[in-house]
Amino acid sequence: MKTENTALYILRLALTLFIIAAVVAAALAGVNSITKPVIDQLNAEKTQKAIEAVLPGGFDEELANFDNQGGLVSKVYKGANGYALEVLPSGFDNTITMMVGVDTEGKVLGISIVSHTETAGLGAVAAAQTSAGEAFRGQFVGQSGSVGVTKDGGTLDAITGATITSRAICVGVNAALACVAGLG
Amino acid sequence: MTANAILGIIIAALLSQNFILVKFYGICPFMGVSKKIDTALGMGMAVTFVMALASAACFVVNKLLVALGLSYMQTVAFILVIASIVQVVEMFLKKAVPALYKALGVFLPLITTNCAVLGVVLVNVQNNYNFLISVINGAAGGLGFTLAIVLFASVRERVDKAESPESFKGYPLALIAAGFLALAFMGFSGLSIS
Amino acid sequence: MNFKKQFKDGLLDKNPVFVQLLGMCSTLAITTSLFNGIGMGLAVTIITICSNVLISALRKVIPNQIRIAAYITIIAGFVTVVDLLLKAYIPALSESLGVFIPLIVVNCMVLGRAEAFASKNGVLASAVDGLCQGIGYTVALVIVCVVREFLGSGTFGGGLLNGGEGIRILPEGVPAMQMVMPVGGFLAMGCILAGFQYMTRKMENARKDKEAAK
Repeated sequence: MKTENTALYILRLALTLFIIAAVVAAALAGVNSITKPVIDQLNAEKTQKAIEAVLPGGFDEELANFDNQGGLVSKVYKGANGYALEVLPSGFDNTITMMVGVDTEGKVLGISIVSHTETAGLGAVAAAQTSAGEAFRGQFVGQSGSVGVTKDGGTLDAITGATITSRAICVGVNAALACVAGLG
Repeated sequence: MTANAILGIIIAALLSQNFILVKFYGICPFMGVSKKIDTALGMGMAVTFVMALASAACFVVNKLLVALGLSYMQTVAFILVIASIVQVVEMFLKKAVPALYKALGVFLPLITTNCAVLGVVLVNVQNNYNFLISVINGAAGGLGFTLAIVLFASVRERVDKAESPESFKGYPLALIAAGFLALAFMGFSGLSIS
Repeated sequence: MNFKKQFKDGLLDKNPVFVQLLGMCSTLAITTSLFNGIGMGLAVTIITICSNVLISALRKVIPNQIRIAAYITIIAGFVTVVDLLLKAYIPALSESLGVFIPLIVVNCMVLGRAEAFASKNGVLASAVDGLCQGIGYTVALVIVCVVREFLGSGTFGGGLLNGGEGIRILPEGVPAMQMVMPVGGFLAMGCILAGFQYMTRKMENARKDKEAAK
């Protein structure tokens, strides 16, 4: 290569890379502008559905002031029948996003998993629309104070082979209960 | 973040959530560079270094992207940052620490396409870890990678010499050996500090 | 270019997973249900075709020294497009595959095809190469998925058939759930690979016998 190492050549390298990066960025901006509204809409629908699943009658307002229990509680929605709290406990793999409904007396109305990356067939059972999943989530209804799996001296049956996921969900529910207790 | 939480993250990254054996990040170098213990160790150290550095750099880059509303550029930006870091580390080592460069040099270009590096950066961002935790997670994840690859290399040195059915020679047996290593690491899965 | 040979290469002789052992991270991590396997396979196929075509078209423009950086940028672009589209239109798949979608960027198969094929061949041949390698990758993933799902969950077609639960073949309690855990990934892959090597050796021997008979 005769031109190698000259300033002009290096400039050509940098320019080529810059143009490629710029074109990629522009293309992504285009795609993003199409998909962003769809994704936002999906997320909003999902949150709405999750709230309705755990809080009969839905919510009237989103509270801004609450004790986030060390970062576990991210959102609190208040409705006529109680509260729906979005909590983010750490699961086996990543953070689990779940919704916990708590009535005004501090009893769990229901839980629903919004998103997770737990192992398919094991931890994922917690979120699955199957009889095993519903049985697991159903155990939480009516609980108050503090919950735990039987292995930890609690009363709830963990999902077979997914103690970590089950524990994480208990951590989330406990955070939600403590948060509601703090709301008075 | 309490000291306990930090310790928990380190233990998770090293053992119970080991990057290779539990989360499957970085399988390519795990299979490719694990025939000898010393090369495995070299690769592990190089990866650890780049993972810690990349976690730090990408934390800053991500803050910048979020501030500009460009978070959809994450993957592109991160991989470019990682590629540049690898390049810079390579040049720096070549000039400043030739001995270390000689030991690690051949592994460095491979690290760009090691999913463990991009993986740890993405996990950091998804979990909203702060700067310190990101770097700790990166370094501990890298050490977990080193631990797994060195252990595996020592198993493999023996397995390769053993008599085995024709069809199982080479990668199949290596994968099965890795499976048993993963089985051993499953024992750590209940380990948590809170 | 011999398209038939390219196809056979992708599926058998140079199968990205079973022969070249590329893209092992996703092969082992996500192969727990048929839905995952097909989804991942198709995503990787589309990305490989697109990046192969673009890189092949630009192969005379991109200077040699920065080619890897340029390839990675292009691949990362396509991966992000696929990631965004999946999030918007097939959210179930996006959730199920999680971080392994952005990690396609560092799937050695995509970069490997760019470097080994697209940078040296014409646009059409590169597109066909991407398609063939992608099909080989998808078929391999599906095989691993079916084996692991059957042994680990006792079902077929999880996430896809029978309202997402899959068709139950083994009664509950029989399957070894370890097979859908990391351990099972390694073990299943090892055994399938051994089976593949056995099969290719048999085919090779049969071919030799045939030649000898001539």
